[in-house]
Amino acid sequence: MNATVASARLIAPEALEPPVGRKVRPYAVAIALIVVLVWFCIDLEMTPAVFGKGLASLRRFIGAMIPPHDGGQPWRIVLALVETFAMAVSGTAIAAVFAAPLGVLAAKAVVRNAVIHFAVRRVMDLFRGIPALVWALILVSAVGLGPFAGVLALAFADIPRLAKLHAEAIENLDQRPLEALRAAGAGRLAAIRFAAVPQLAPIWSSQILYYLEQNFRNAAILGIVGAGGIGFALEERIRIFAFDQVAYIVLLYCVCVGILDWISSRIRARLT
Amino acid sequence: MNPPEPLSVAVADFEALRRDSIRKHRLQSIVGVAIVSIIVFASMSYSDVFSPALGGDPMQRIATFLDRLAPDIDPDAAFAGRATRGSIAAWYYDFPNWLAAAWQTIQMAVVGTMLGGLLAVGAAFFAAQNVMRIGLVRFLVRRVMDALRTIPDLILAIIFSAAFGLGAVAGVVTIIVVTLGSLAKLFSEAIESVDMRPAEALKASGAGWIAQMRYGVVPQVLPNFASYLLLRLEINISVAAALGIVGAGGIGVELQRAITYTEFDTYLALLLMIVAMITLIDMASEELRHRLIGKESMA
Repeated sequence: MNATVASARLIAPEALEPPVGRKVRPYAVAIALIVVLVWFCIDLEMTPAVFGKGLASLRRFIGAMIPPHDGGQPWRIVLALVETFAMAVSGTAIAAVFAAPLGVLAAKAVVRNAVIHFAVRRVMDLFRGIPALVWALILVSAVGLGPFAGVLALAFADIPRLAKLHAEAIENLDQRPLEALRAAGAGRLAAIRFAAVPQLAPIWSSQILYYLEQNFRNAAILGIVGAGGIGFALEERIRIFAFDQVAYIVLLYCVCVGILDWISSRIRARLT
Repeated sequence: MNPPEPLSVAVADFEALRRDSIRKHRLQSIVGVAIVSIIVFASMSYSDVFSPALGGDPMQRIATFLDRLAPDIDPDAAFAGRATRGSIAAWYYDFPNWLAAAWQTIQMAVVGTMLGGLLAVGAAFFAAQNVMRIGLVRFLVRRVMDALRTIPDLILAIIFSAAFGLGAVAGVVTIIVVTLGSLAKLFSEAIESVDMRPAEALKASGAGWIAQMRYGVVPQVLPNFASYLLLRLEINISVAAALGIVGAGGIGVELQRAITYTEFDTYLALLLMIVAMITLIDMASEELRHRLIGKESMA
């Protein structure tokens, strides 16, 4: 042990000999996590045997996917994709109409009454977690099979999420243009029209476009419960193990997602 | 030389320019609004929003639906036993089983997040530019992750429940794959933003690649990884709640059963349980994340 180490120990004793608690803690956390993992795996019956069998059939499925095949009806698949897109646009449009007033109500800057904006916030937080498919499942039995149930499901799922983003956009507004207009004698409405709206419009539009992208992905699964779109075609073909057609649809769908994302990101880049 | 004339000419020029630009701007707005309206209207009519086949008035149908969703709670008998009609206990008539299903959903989400996160850490090191020098490996890993992210989770769930059999295992595998796809991207971005000097110092003093990563990179990214993982856990809870609808275990199975027997009030009861479950996990995860961030800023 030389002098450098001795003086280092004097300056920072903990760096050379960490206290027992700090040395043990990472191991304790790791062991606790492993215990939880093993316990849950046993509970869920995730045994290596089940896993091995599943992976074997998965390998068979993937083998069957090559080469992809259109199943003789490529136009029906394209039409289902168009329907998926139409559902995404309609759902987003309806969500946007309802999210705007809710977003305004939830914004601290607009609604001075703490009770109202707190209540609106909480209710939206509660509903934010419910996935579109859970809405779709019940809406199908309420409004009937078909894309309309899917449109409503998308709208229901998006309204609280979009409203929250809208409210945050309002709260992050630059207040100075508003103050300037008020100082120059403009009324409240004029101040909102010429200072708040020009700031908000691009942000809100870009948030809505982002949700359109998300909805095109979400809409693709709603068909599983009969709510229209490509999901129905996909589920049907998985159930009959026609994996070459599944691969064809998934590839086509991925291309569409890519195109939509690209267009939307181009528009959003121009907006902001 | 007459000074006012050029000035008025300049003003006129400016006015003309301004009028032009306003006109152009208005035209652009009108065309934009028209295009968006046409797309929205076409989409709505294509997806049966105005269809008379649905009983014409969609609002009316939604009202009926909400009415059927609401449980028959009799205020006088609300706290009576399960046998009494109109009590809360009768509404939640199978509560222990539903609680077990909710617990299974949480277990699926936790196991899926942990295993998926572990795989994502591995994948992230192969996808990050500053630690993986071989471009081809990086490209392949990234494209595979992109593909995993694009395929909708429930489509994966159907394929996995065909492969692994109906039940929680298929759900866990789905969550593992979804988590891997989304976290690998975030993790590799975190790795790319680290300060490489500690790793270089280790390299200079003779440490191997694994030691460089373990002592030079991992300590920097660990708090980030942990907080991404917790955020993903929150999302995975709601993913897991939906998985049961396609038979992949958890509370979704009960949702599907309630629909099969047209027990709409049961559906609402389950929905409320899902909301409570998600809220609880969100709160716990937020608390943990604040502690992690707090520790990081103290260090």
